[in-house]
Amino acid sequence: MLFIELFIQGLIQGSTYAIIAVGLTLIYGLLRVLHVAHAGLFTLGAYLGVVLTNQTGSLSLGILLAALISGIVGMAIYRLVYEPMLSKPPYVALIASIGLYIGMEEIFRLVFGPFGMSFSSAPLQDIVVFFGIHLRTCQIITVVTNVVLLGILAWIAQRTRIGTGWRATVDDPQMSACFGINPIKVRYMVFFTGSALAAVAGVMVALLTNIVEPTMGAVPSYKSLAIIVLGGLGNVFGTLIASLVLGILEAFGTIYIGDLLDRDAIAFAFLIIVLMIKPTGIFTSR
Amino acid sequence: MGLYEISLATGVGIYIILAVSLNMITGYCGQISLGHAAFYGIGAYTVALLSKIGWPIYLTLGAGFLAAGIIGTIVGLTSLRVREDFLAIVTMGVAFLFVGIVRQQEFLGGEMGISGIPSHGMSKLAYLGLVLFFAVLSILFSWYVKRSWMGFAFDAVADDEDTAKVLGLDVKAYKLTAFAMGTAMAGLAGGLYAYYTRFIIPDTFGFIESITILSMVAVGGIGSIFGVVFATILLVLMPEFFRFINDYKLLLYGVLLFSVMRFAPEGLSGFFKLLVRRKDG
Amino acid sequence: MTTILLAESVTVKFGGVTALEDVHMDVKQGEFLSLIGPNGAGKTTLLNTITGVVTPVNASLKLGNKDISNLPTHKRIRLGLALTHQIVRPFKSMTILENVAFAAGFKKVRKIIPSLITLNRSLEKKKAIEFLEMVDIAQYQDQEVSKLPLGVLKRLEVARALAVEPQILLLDEPLAGLNSQEAGKLADTVKSISKQGVTIVMIEHNLSEVLRVSDRLHVLDNGRNLAQGEPKAVMNQPEVRAAYLGI
Repeated sequence: MLFIELFIQGLIQGSTYAIIAVGLTLIYGLLRVLHVAHAGLFTLGAYLGVVLTNQTGSLSLGILLAALISGIVGMAIYRLVYEPMLSKPPYVALIASIGLYIGMEEIFRLVFGPFGMSFSSAPLQDIVVFFGIHLRTCQIITVVTNVVLLGILAWIAQRTRIGTGWRATVDDPQMSACFGINPIKVRYMVFFTGSALAAVAGVMVALLTNIVEPTMGAVPSYKSLAIIVLGGLGNVFGTLIASLVLGILEAFGTIYIGDLLDRDAIAFAFLIIVLMIKPTGIFTSR
Repeated sequence: MGLYEISLATGVGIYIILAVSLNMITGYCGQISLGHAAFYGIGAYTVALLSKIGWPIYLTLGAGFLAAGIIGTIVGLTSLRVREDFLAIVTMGVAFLFVGIVRQQEFLGGEMGISGIPSHGMSKLAYLGLVLFFAVLSILFSWYVKRSWMGFAFDAVADDEDTAKVLGLDVKAYKLTAFAMGTAMAGLAGGLYAYYTRFIIPDTFGFIESITILSMVAVGGIGSIFGVVFATILLVLMPEFFRFINDYKLLLYGVLLFSVMRFAPEGLSGFFKLLVRRKDG
Repeated sequence: MTTILLAESVTVKFGGVTALEDVHMDVKQGEFLSLIGPNGAGKTTLLNTITGVVTPVNASLKLGNKDISNLPTHKRIRLGLALTHQIVRPFKSMTILENVAFAAGFKKVRKIIPSLITLNRSLEKKKAIEFLEMVDIAQYQDQEVSKLPLGVLKRLEVARALAVEPQILLLDEPLAGLNSQEAGKLADTVKSISKQGVTIVMIEHNLSEVLRVSDRLHVLDNGRNLAQGEPKAVMNQPEVRAAYLGI
């Protein structure tokens, strides 16, 4: 039983990492920028989700608005921060992104207070028994939402014209421009989608823990960076697998090697071991 | 000089060593490290443990220097053979890994850290002298490196590593050397810090500290030694003189990092160059 | 004449695309060999495989009697190769002179410790000026790279490659982007370098210059060997005319 419980825990964590990391890896694939401030949008989404749900009384409205607003902020970040830096050496965008992330954390602290916020009445906390395993509704909702969102994303990428445009732009921006795909539009779309997904992940984590704090993005931030390296920078499929593997590894690691390593350090121990064995990550990018 | 000023100056001296050492890696060789504070921490913990079992200060400081340099070399070996973006992520991981591991180890004091580190056995003023001696030494060393053929090779690596390779340069070896020298110097700074506060906790050496050091390098102007030293002094002293800044220190660092990169990626040194050029022209 | 560089069974794939398939090329001591072929024939890929910038699926590479197939790029260069890029890649933080002086100091940066204790750059600067004079750009020595026209930078590429004192100089389209007068001048310069005993392998599309200066041609088409031999004879082969000239 413990085995299955840990496995499910891992799945919940892993699918959450996946919807955060997928935006990060898409952005890396498109711009070769390590978008550290992505985690700031995750935190923003969490705060908006809690505040708006408390105000409106409707969780679904809260999630929707949080995703929408964070998506727009994401596009603004592309326009105001990264676009002017693309011709500069890569460290410029990276350091700016870190600065932006730290700044966002501090602004959350100033606006929402340092002690965190909770749902006034936390939704979806009923216990469901599933083949003898106790789960909260929100845990099930989290996995289902994550899987559905990733499914929709995969469908858009594989089956629609917009998706073809995305993939073509990642492969060869100049060529795709020749075929009438506007690479700038694609960038905005990727930033919007990636940021909206991160925001949904934020609200889900808020549901699971019922607390949002200014620094809640730090850990997902560096873990999702580790994940996209493991997945082979820019490789979406690799990123999904790496997220799930990490989630499960953490769930088991906390029980079996918890004395040796902090839960949050497992990701990087794993990353460093993988890089020693296979320097290009588990899945080499295209 | 009162005790407060001595203590402040000692802190500035330690940060100068840290910033100059990171500048060696990021500035000279173009490799971004986001985990510099971990090597600072390795130095501090090494010195704390060894001084508690009775090693004298000159041996403990040397051991801290070596320990950080050796672990730095190992980290460098795993990440430098691959793409440039990997180093940033791996070193960021090292920052979290270091705190994550130290917290769980009883012999390192866990969350509570190590207290009761023996005294350095000199007056506070004499200790300030020692710290400043090492600070000046690191400045001179890095100034010397810049002028040597090694510095020339670093320029080439930072500029275009593929071209440097095609000219017969062993790029990996030079990157690794920069990383080893920089991390060892950070270890020395950590040792000096351990004797200075005589009490260390893991959180002092976390990601935020790494970013603080990076801010000093970025604001000073990546690669410019005098810009970096000047920015370090400015950034350490500013919160002390303007107390209200202290509460918003991180916000200030965030905004500074962001706006320097967005509007003036060459930092203070670029600004000075511009002024000088204006005068000449 | 003895063979100085031998590339055998070179196969390179990028993803699913085969860029080179079982290509053989030999280069004789002291000759001026031009590597020609239509766009996408795999010429640059072949040079990049020789220098180790591209990792082949399969290749046996010999420089003199030494097998260099498994050496990293910098070690191959140190055995006597030098490469110029098709798209110029000067060190942008350095002046023209420093670009060449750095290359001329290749012995000083070979080992880490000696590089740290060596300060003097004057000998290399003197040498660098000689190389700059050889390609006629000495007058630009103190200028920053970003302000100079392509013609100068193309010559800088050649001077910098010469500065590592190679036995074999690999040139990737040195004349591309130059007007016919500039191209003629640079081709003459390369020819005079060749006469000083440096073996030349040059990729070039400018056929009239190629035919004027080369001792021998090697033709690639679609990732395969098409022909090689004395320039006029090669150009008269029907398959070369078909593939390369579209006649």
